[in-house]
Amino acid sequence: MKEKTIYEHLREKGLSRRDFMKLCGTIAGMMGLEFVPPVKALGKTLGPSPEEVVAQALKTKPKVPIIWLEFQDCAGCSEAISRSSSPLLSNLVLNDIAIEYHETLMAAAGFQAEKAKEECMKKYFGKYVLVVEGSPTLADDGIYCTVAGKSNLDLLKEAAAGAAAVIATGNCACFGGIPAAHPNPTRAVGVADLIKDKPVVNIPGCPAIPEVTTGTILHFLILGQLPETDQLKRPLPFYGHTVHDHCLRRPFYEAGKFAGSFDDEGARKGYCLYRLGCKGPTTYNACAGLKWERGLSYPVQSGHPCLGCSEPHFWDGGGFYQGQSAPIVRLDKSSTATLVGVGVAAGAALAGLNAVKKSRAKKDLKKDQSQAAGSDPGSKKEG
Amino acid sequence: MNWTNILNFSRGPLLHVAMIIFVAGLSYRLVRVLLLGWARDRAKNKGSKLWGVIVNYLKGLFVLPFIPWVRRTFRHNELTFIAGGLFHLSLFLVLVFGTAHILVWKSLWGFGWKGLPTPILAFFSAAGIISMIVLLINRLTHPVLKMLTRFPVWINWLVVFLPMITGFIMARHLWFRYEVIFSLHLISVSLLLIWVPFGRISHFLFYFFSKTIHGAQAGKRAVTP
Ligand code: HEM
Ligand code: HEM
Ligand code: SF4
Repeated sequence: MKEKTIYEHLREKGLSRRDFMKLCGTIAGMMGLEFVPPVKALGKTLGPSPEEVVAQALKTKPKVPIIWLEFQDCAGCSEAISRSSSPLLSNLVLNDIAIEYHETLMAAAGFQAEKAKEECMKKYFGKYVLVVEGSPTLADDGIYCTVAGKSNLDLLKEAAAGAAAVIATGNCACFGGIPAAHPNPTRAVGVADLIKDKPVVNIPGCPAIPEVTTGTILHFLILGQLPETDQLKRPLPFYGHTVHDHCLRRPFYEAGKFAGSFDDEGARKGYCLYRLGCKGPTTYNACAGLKWERGLSYPVQSGHPCLGCSEPHFWDGGGFYQGQSAPIVRLDKSSTATLVGVGVAAGAALAGLNAVKKSRAKKDLKKDQSQAAGSDPGSKKEG
Repeated sequence: MNWTNILNFSRGPLLHVAMIIFVAGLSYRLVRVLLLGWARDRAKNKGSKLWGVIVNYLKGLFVLPFIPWVRRTFRHNELTFIAGGLFHLSLFLVLVFGTAHILVWKSLWGFGWKGLPTPILAFFSAAGIISMIVLLINRLTHPVLKMLTRFPVWINWLVVFLPMITGFIMARHLWFRYEVIFSLHLISVSLLLIWVPFGRISHFLFYFFSKTIHGAQAGKRAVTP
């Protein structure tokens, strides 16, 4: 039997054609299709509009299952998705474009859930999308994170083996995140550090912006490939600019007008938050463009400096409220005192050594001189 | 290796090591100079040492640089005098009143202060950079100066110039991704910090020794320093 296409599935659920076309437009926007040439992606010569590309795909493609695994995480990324600004859309992605296995969101539990996953992995081998939330952990063969008696490493390898693509969502899955914070007791790493034989895309953030995760999933489902990425495997449509690039406080930055505390005159006037520790200049994410809660706001707009949550090591990159330019490792009073001590001791020792050498040389010189003059060698008038 | 990691490295371990070498190295240099001792000044005290020191600083640092035409060094070569002065003024303003740098001081000492508006800083850092280029050209072309300039002097120039130019580019967001130019700025700053104890740039410390001693000697003899 031929599988139902997504379009057929949606029509069956009562979606009108008009609503379907509207949906395609929204999806195209979510995928950041303005930035990705759909023509190139589909291998076509003449470019249809982004909506048409999406419509075409939904009309011809069957549902693709998503297997969503959670390792060392707080489920915040899942939370963000399930409460995202467009619950209808995320519902659509998770239910209608299909999710087959999500430990937290699925109705099934226990052995039932495990069985559902195994069946899905078998049936869709080589086709499904694997989404990983939370960091895998290497220490002691992965025993610090186990599900149904299996270590996270085994679970990850097993699920990745049949995946068409792997999407790491949230800083933990991408770069180790908070579990990897110093001293990283469980040896948490990013998914891409372990999975080398499959295309992996990173959607870092704490949590990841839900529209970016769903947008990237859609991109794969609809165009059949992952979006173009930067050096850190982040999709360029969403991570091509820094928070600082599109910040609404930027004019104040340019003028050198900074809030000095959270409640001073500058803060009330909406000045730049650089002095309060903003990491916007080095943080690549779509916060300033997409924003959160239906484009309502994002941290910097609400008066809080950017924490840099989409960057590796953001947890250990100096204090959140400490300027970005402040050194990460500081010299405290006692180590400074020790260093001064070392320098002084070395200087004094060398100076002492030199003094001894000099006085010896002087003595020798005197001896030589007195011998050469033939005077009484026994006399010791001067030392 | 990606630039995000390089930035973390240069903001972290690299700068840390550079600061360690800077502090220990300068303490070492200071002790070596102090323990050299100086010849006993057997002149009778006819005036006030303190007064001599005060006058020496006032004249040397706060008055004469701003009416330079009374000075021989200025009349000899106006361009280098102005370029040298402007360079030091810019360096001072950028390091003490640049917001990014204030945050460095704050992290070290626990308190900060207000910075200068960015356009003013931009003007001075540009002026500082141009002055440095003028000083370099002067060194390269002046027949006597060229002979006097040994290898370490070129290094002095380079390790100061690199932080200046990378800082300027970074603050204007030109050409590079921010984490790239930020890394380059910090790598060059680290080079500077490591080099300072071993080279002549330590004059920012020893200048005050010679100025104080010279002033005291003059004051003792009741002559104007
Ligand atoms: C720990 C040491 C230092 C750190 C962390 C640091 C950091 C920074 C940062 C983050 C900026 C850019 C500010 C912005 O984006 O608006 C900057 C600018 C700059 N830095 Fe540094 N810096 C350090 C030391 C130095 C030193 C030693 C020099 C000079 C010898 C220097 C020269 C400059 C200059 C000229 C600018 C441009 C200022 C402007 O035009 O507004 N920096 N620095
Ligand atoms: C209180 C601080 C300082 C004072 C009073 C001071 C004073 C001077 C004076 C009088 C000269 C001219 C000496 C000569 O031509 O041989 C000079 C040259 C120079 N200073 Fe400073 N300086 C200070 C700080 C610094 C600092 C912090 C730096 C670098 C980070 C620096 C870099 C230089 C350089 C590169 C030259 C050579 C310029 C040339 O090529 O002619 N100075 N300084
Ligand atoms: S608030 Fe942060 S992101 Fe916005 S302009 Fe200031 S430094 Fe840049």
